[in-house]
Amino acid sequence: MGMATFINLTVNGLSTGMMIFLLASGLSLIFGLMGVLNFAHGSLFMLGGYTGVVVFAHSGSFILALVSAMLVGVSVGWVVERLTVRRVYGNAIAQILITTGVMIVLNELVKAVFGPDIIATPVPPLLAGSWAIGSVILIKYRLFTLAVGLVVAVTVHLLLTKTRLGMVVRAGVENPEMVQALGINIRQVFSLVFAFGAALAALGGVMMAPAVGAVNPDMGLQNQMLAFIVVVIGGMGSFLGSALGSILVGLAGAYTAWFLPEASLAVNVLLMAVVLLLRPNGLFGMGGE
Amino acid sequence: MARFLRKPDSSEVRLPGAEDAGDYKEGPARTESPARTEPPAGTAAPHGRAKVPGLGRPGREVLLWVSGLPVLVVLILAVLPLLTSSYALFNLMDQILILGVFAMSYDILLGYTGIVSFGHVLFFGTGAYTVAIILKHTGPGLGFLLLAVFGTVLISLVISLVIGYLSLRVKDVYYAMITLAFAELFAIIAEKWRGATNGADGFSFRIPHFLEDPILFYYFILVFAVLTVILVRRFIHSPTGRVLLSIRENEKRAEFLGYNVIRFKLISTLVAGVVAGLAGIAWALQQAFVSTGVMATDKTIDALLITTIGGSGTLYGAFIGSGLTNFASDRLSSLAEHYPLLQRWHLIFGLLYILIVLFFPGGILGFFRGKRAGKGARGYRTGLQKGQR
Repeated sequence: MGMATFINLTVNGLSTGMMIFLLASGLSLIFGLMGVLNFAHGSLFMLGGYTGVVVFAHSGSFILALVSAMLVGVSVGWVVERLTVRRVYGNAIAQILITTGVMIVLNELVKAVFGPDIIATPVPPLLAGSWAIGSVILIKYRLFTLAVGLVVAVTVHLLLTKTRLGMVVRAGVENPEMVQALGINIRQVFSLVFAFGAALAALGGVMMAPAVGAVNPDMGLQNQMLAFIVVVIGGMGSFLGSALGSILVGLAGAYTAWFLPEASLAVNVLLMAVVLLLRPNGLFGMGGE
Repeated sequence: MARFLRKPDSSEVRLPGAEDAGDYKEGPARTESPARTEPPAGTAAPHGRAKVPGLGRPGREVLLWVSGLPVLVVLILAVLPLLTSSYALFNLMDQILILGVFAMSYDILLGYTGIVSFGHVLFFGTGAYTVAIILKHTGPGLGFLLLAVFGTVLISLVISLVIGYLSLRVKDVYYAMITLAFAELFAIIAEKWRGATNGADGFSFRIPHFLEDPILFYYFILVFAVLTVILVRRFIHSPTGRVLLSIRENEKRAEFLGYNVIRFKLISTLVAGVVAGLAGIAWALQQAFVSTGVMATDKTIDALLITTIGGSGTLYGAFIGSGLTNFASDRLSSLAEHYPLLQRWHLIFGLLYILIVLFFPGGILGFFRGKRAGKGARGYRTGLQKGQR
């Protein structure tokens, strides 16, 4: 593996990691705040991808596709939280079951409207192609996703650490009862985080589509599984953990894909197993029960 | 198997307050006998070796009803070949029974232990592939079938031990996430290891001669289903099964009573995995064909739908759910030629499933049982740790 290939793989891995991070960070915060393991999170990712494809095909504007996917994510997330998750508050099992139901329904709706097959997704013309620096070839779109991911990560990090709302969210992850006792409506905060996480997931989906070249109804569950691996590695509820976990999973996937494409998931599962053995609560997890 | 059915150490049973665990039973647990070996002092029924301590006359009638109906159903199923000779019907009945057993094994986890698995299909698929690969390479003999059963049991035990050890130590929700990852890994192995599995195209194989006749095969599956139901019932009603119920109802309390919660959960996943593996064997024999479809996460979701719709924590609910969904999907797919939307029959079951989780957590069977017993069968909704983080 030459230096050029190595740089290329690293960029690819980081870019994939960023898109998984958009999915995993919301998942992790939602879980950290209310103990809700949102199995519909991947469906919101997929919904974002499909929205992006439709909007881009009709308007030709990728910015519009990004924005509308996030809007769809926020609204669907808000509705899902109101109609289902809220009703089984406090019951971990029922929450998993109900969000799984939402996942099934959303996936089937997408299949009913767009068909079960993949839909090819072109890279926007402005971002197509690549730059060649010496023997290193940098794919423009990959760099774009990397940049967007970084901007989002830094923004969310600043929101969490520098604003009052972010402080409430972090406190809520540490101890929801205490925050509630201090007179803050934690459920309202949770609704907000849920919808915001849904928007991030949808953004991840719309960016993932051109990167892999297609959308399909199964992309939600596949990427959600990677996001699960990320949060298990990083630690549930930890934003930093999600970021680090995503980078690890993205890079590990990219490097193994070069040597042995079949084994790229196996390496990630192995990584997860090792973390679980050594640090059951993840690299940045907050203590046990 | 017997090792896992043994009762917990007597010291555990005699812990002060251990009988309290029985008070937290809800739904099906109320109508059935608690730990048979050592009924807690004070709750034993007046006359001799009564099976239903603490239950009055109405309770006993309910018990008769629940134990009588399954026998009746089995009798009707047993005479079915006298009434019809439609091979399509036997085919459907086989599938209903096999998927019923698969869903019942899922119920051990969801309904009786209170953990959600998203990788249950990997046991099903492992069973299916084990029997298919062995029979393909050795020829259709009964001995090789038994070898496949033995292999499946062994592999299922190892896999559930590994996954359970990794995930159950942390939080219950980790089990859902980690099983999904492992199921995906197994699906990829099945797809890429073309030498053994022929990937997504799959391969067909010959089943033992005595199973080739559809009616004989139907009886074979019926006997298989009845035997597994008896075994799983026996397990659920064993002292170990009782402890699982108490874990479902209140994990903290079970832990404070001195039970090694993780060990009991591990036993639950072992038993569920083995039964799912056996269902996979039956499925492969029924189809005489395997492909990556037997490893698809869709199958886990089917088991979840079937169990929840039929009634989680009821054991027989799995068969009601399986009958309903398979029969309906059979009907709907023939209607789908005219109404394309019906091809997405999962949509209908998905919506039904959400409504059931929200409003009737006991599913169909729980709903009727609740009415009969005059109590709300609230299924998993009861006593689970509130606000678990």
